Amino acid sequence: MHLWRSGLIIAFIGVLGISGCHYSLAAAQGSDSAEKQVRRLVNDPLPAGVKRDEAAVLYKPDNLYEYIDGGADIYLLYDFQRLLHQNLKSGDGELTVDIYDMGKAENGFGMYAAERSPRYTFIRLGVEGYRGEGTLNFVQGRYYVKLAATGAKAGAGLEPMARMLSRRIGGTAQAPALLAKLPGENRVAHSEQFVRRDPLGHAFLAPAYVVGYAWAGKGESKLVVSVAEDAARAKARLDQFARHFKQSGECAPAADLGENGIRGKNSFEGRVIARTQGRYLIALLNPPEQGAEILKRTAQGLQ
Amino acid sequence: MEWNRREFIVKPMVVAGTARMLGRTESLLSKLAVGSGPLLERTLGKTGLKMPVVSMGVMNADIPGLVRRSYELGIRHFDTAAGYQGGRNEEMVGSVIKELGVRDKVIIATKQHLRDRPANPAEARRRFMEGVEASLRRLQMDHVEILYYHGVDEVEDARAEGPLEALQALKKDGKARFIGLSTHRTSMILPEAMRQDMFDVFLVTLNYTMAHDTEMLNAVERAAKSGIGIVAMKTQAGGTVKPDPKLPRELPPASQTALLKWALNHDFVTTAIPGYSTYQHLDQDFSVARNLDYTAEEKAFLADESFVSQAEFCQQCGKCVADCPMHADVPRLMRAQMYAAQYRNAGLARDTMAGIASGRGLEACDGCESCTLTCRNSVNIARKIAQLRAMAGNHAC
Repeated sequence: MHLWRSGLIIAFIGVLGISGCHYSLAAAQGSDSAEKQVRRLVNDPLPAGVKRDEAAVLYKPDNLYEYIDGGADIYLLYDFQRLLHQNLKSGDGELTVDIYDMGKAENGFGMYAAERSPRYTFIRLGVEGYRGEGTLNFVQGRYYVKLAATGAKAGAGLEPMARMLSRRIGGTAQAPALLAKLPGENRVAHSEQFVRRDPLGHAFLAPAYVVGYAWAGKGESKLVVSVAEDAARAKARLDQFARHFKQSGECAPAADLGENGIRGKNSFEGRVIARTQGRYLIALLNPPEQGAEILKRTAQGLQ
Repeated sequence: MEWNRREFIVKPMVVAGTARMLGRTESLLSKLAVGSGPLLERTLGKTGLKMPVVSMGVMNADIPGLVRRSYELGIRHFDTAAGYQGGRNEEMVGSVIKELGVRDKVIIATKQHLRDRPANPAEARRRFMEGVEASLRRLQMDHVEILYYHGVDEVEDARAEGPLEALQALKKDGKARFIGLSTHRTSMILPEAMRQDMFDVFLVTLNYTMAHDTEMLNAVERAAKSGIGIVAMKTQAGGTVKPDPKLPRELPPASQTALLKWALNHDFVTTAIPGYSTYQHLDQDFSVARNLDYTAEEKAFLADESFVSQAEFCQQCGKCVADCPMHADVPRLMRAQMYAAQYRNAGLARDTMAGIASGRGLEACDGCESCTLTCRNSVNIARKIAQLRAMAGNHAC
């Protein structure tokens, strides 16, 4: 049974301990090194014009709900470890820095990507970043960083603060390696996702990488690469995917698509073509005419 | 057999039987969803909005197909929030509803939250209203049916001038047909919110782990009787989604429908918003929408003694008190621990401990080297008291 649904006992156990407790930074002294690392990111000196307003607050999985309420669920899905929340003064306004430590770079990217839209205004920062009205978010390594400015001229502090944090985080700023192996042509920029749980609404496809492709005037497709432990398990996933389409619409084998190829469709997910490539299940939702070719190129890239 | 919330506390041990668990067959779940017979519908208090008892909490699902399928099955109430996926959740809901062309057939609820409380009410009002305008743009809608003040868990928030003025102005302007608040601290917030005399809907945490909390249940019931519509969230006790390696075993599929039915078997609840993120779980949850009678498997789950013991649910029987050499008020300490650890309600935990007679609270336990109390319902009293003590030491309660 999917673990998300196992929440009942988890609700008892998961909240035990020190939930409901905010940790001041002072109290965090002597705790694990990851906490110290995230604390160092907002140490003095800060960029010109930016001043510390109050002590930072550290949230953990048990009490993230207190800060972002139901929005916490998805962070927990991506193995959220801790959040450093720091209020600063910038100009006559306020600057809020939220640094989410997601434990692993892949989870950091996954969480970041779950909240960004390809339509946003992107900037060169970390692995990827974007600016909105009074906001700047970026991902780098295991950290998903979100900055928000309110009040007069506070926005001017956003980018200097973000660049300072990026320098302090350091490391190599690269998206998950598998994404580079997927076809580049017609790819929707900034559409890449790493989906930890329930990709496309199917628990058995997790984890998966999802990328959007656009066809001039002919809509968009989603390419999904589900990563299994081995080829047998990838085949089992494909069989389950095929059963789902058979039960909810129709599905048939499609040898022309390559290894274990299938074509399926139903009323709510539309059309899909899929195949396996070793330990990968590759599916293309709403495929264009050249869908078979895209599957083939994807499979070649993953060999 | 009819079960209500009060009986639930008593009956688990009575309805014995083999907890034969439902299999995990996909075909069975598919059959469950389609079902037969009319959908159970209820009216949301004085709003007059009528909807099936099962709605969709969209928060966990960035999956357009899942919203389409939910609509296809008959779900008409979709609950999202500005804070879910940084607004992307609203974008997705809005684009699917537009694509389906069913805006006039659905009830859209969204929520607005002010993370930092601006000291200036005018500033708070401005930020709140701007936030809602942004939500409407993402939803591609000129109004929502229900607009909640999101996550009101402190009394000062329930009284906050700025957001409350903004809610009323947005309702007056037709950008929200009805206004409400969402809270996890029902007992504390609802009475205050009712004093404000402006809310149409309350979105409250309600699940069987709260079965014995008559104060909370009565608060919700009072609100419903006054005409406020009640929407239930976290009905399957999904207080956390993080898998816990300490879990002794996974819950059976019947647990999820049993828990959803338990919440919906309270007549004062109009609808629940389970946050499913797969088609399988949609089918499972929606199977409840035509019949709230418990199946044999669901009854077995609710009566499962081993489950109750794993849940360590203090039934407040008080039989342990006589066994304690220090005469500690164990039932109240257990309640305080539950409020602090499970409900994350430090204030209520403090109040509960303050109500314990002098010398019978944590100080009684401090004089005891090791707790030897044995609970009739397998609650690990010593562990819970140790947790409560740790939390009190950390000022978490």
